[in-house]
Amino acid sequence: MIAANSLGERQQEFMAQVLDDEHPLPAGWTDRHAAGMDIYRNAYRARLVDALRDTYERTAKWAGEDAFRQAAAHHLINRPPNSWTLDDAGDGFPETLRELFTGDPEVAELGWLEWAMHRAFVAADAVPMVAEDLGKLAATFAEEDWGNMQLTFLPGTDQRLVRHDVGALWRALAGEEELAAEDRPEVISAQPMHLVVWREGVKPVFMQVSDAEGRALQMMRNGSTYGAMCAYLVESLGEEEAIAESGAMLGRWLHNGLIAAITK
Amino acid sequence: MSTIAPFSGFGLGLRRTHYQDFLESDVPVDFVEVISENYMVDGGNPLRILEEVRAKMPVILHGVSMSIGSANGLDSEYLARLEMLANRIDPLWVSDHLCWTRTSAHNSHDLLPLPYTREALDVVCSNIDHAQETLGRPMLFENPSSYMTFPEDEMTEWEFLSAMSLRTGCYLLLDVNNIYVSAHNHGFSADDYLAGIPADRVRQIHLAGHTDGDIKIDTHDALVCDGVWQLYAKARGILGDVATMIERDDGIPPLPELLTELDRARALATGPSPTDGPTDGPTERIAA
Repeated sequence: MIAANSLGERQQEFMAQVLDDEHPLPAGWTDRHAAGMDIYRNAYRARLVDALRDTYERTAKWAGEDAFRQAAAHHLINRPPNSWTLDDAGDGFPETLRELFTGDPEVAELGWLEWAMHRAFVAADAVPMVAEDLGKLAATFAEEDWGNMQLTFLPGTDQRLVRHDVGALWRALAGEEELAAEDRPEVISAQPMHLVVWREGVKPVFMQVSDAEGRALQMMRNGSTYGAMCAYLVESLGEEEAIAESGAMLGRWLHNGLIAAITK
Repeated sequence: MSTIAPFSGFGLGLRRTHYQDFLESDVPVDFVEVISENYMVDGGNPLRILEEVRAKMPVILHGVSMSIGSANGLDSEYLARLEMLANRIDPLWVSDHLCWTRTSAHNSHDLLPLPYTREALDVVCSNIDHAQETLGRPMLFENPSSYMTFPEDEMTEWEFLSAMSLRTGCYLLLDVNNIYVSAHNHGFSADDYLAGIPADRVRQIHLAGHTDGDIKIDTHDALVCDGVWQLYAKARGILGDVATMIERDDGIPPLPELLTELDRARALATGPSPTDGPTDGPTERIAA
């Protein structure tokens, strides 16, 4: 039993009881105190589980309510929140899903997509460049500037390698109703591809791109030059396809509004 | 520290389900209150909507995560984000709760109770000084609902609030439902509570519903009960014309239903003060 002498010690002790049903009550506490503590414990769990369900709405629907609740409870025990914002309670939950749903790896992939969309929703505002902007900039480019070109992507842009058609899952789980058994899409184990998430105006969106495009995008997001990206594509796709694809990718990223700035 | 001028009027909490109502029509309220943390974000739709609503009416920033009673002090990142939001929105005022939510390691995201001791008062006042200096404005702090008291308590909640306000210059947000709930849960007199609050420091009143039981729980998911309405009428008699709002955070009905409930607050505020007896009992009565 910890002797609770100072306010700080009492708060550590109280928090330990909130987080753990088995934690012993302090000396001098009565059944009435225990009843009060039960309310705080229940409120803590209910609020956090509700927050996770709100963020991971589709994942909960796909995994099923009982399985999702168990995963949420597991997550709260292993990663009790420490951020000031309830929004962060879902941080790391896709990893928890990966650990728990080892036989259904699409659950963690879907969870990652929901988390990335959640983060993009409140990412910093920025105006995406359009093709005309690149056109004006390109008019000032010397030959070597193309190779040195670097891209800054919109805040909130994120990506991940997936091995299932998560886009199909996302669409199938869009309704408010529970998904009937006959409406559950077959989980297709697809060729590796990348989910890319960003925000269009105020709306988070995503697209699925090929593994090659995903890796190229990852390079550019990590600060590589366009020249280095093209070299990678030549190595993985061959020169002819790389020339066509590098331009197409840049055009696609511009067209979709992923690029915030171009520097040379 | 500057002062907060009284503001009279009737408002509602701005909740996501009513965003379109507030954007597309002239909702008959004098202000809205928002949960600060929902807008302490980098960008996106929540901030855009808040700015649009702010262009139409005054906004109050009401926080749930300052943790003013934390023995390990305030979170500097939290304060910096709140300051940015306050500077951006220019609210009527910024408020939070007399409670603690976090230790240095964990955050409960719940309004946890403080022992009402001289030591806790020192901690709370030091933290309020820090917050008010950082924000460059006085704040309001709300009396919480609580589900236990502590053997080490040295004063009542209203004595704690009075001393806190006197020492720091902060103002008070009086949640009448919370007084009602805590009076039931801890067996004190709601009338004594109202009489013990420094009336000149109260700038806002909250009204809300709760869940009944051996221990009443502040759930904000139901209509304001008759006992709380009676206590509100008494509070108005003591406090005068104070900004009043209805809080609903769960089971949120269509906006017209909340506006009807708010009309009842308006009617009680303009009517005569009730003359019936104590309002601290657990039995709900029909308002006069």
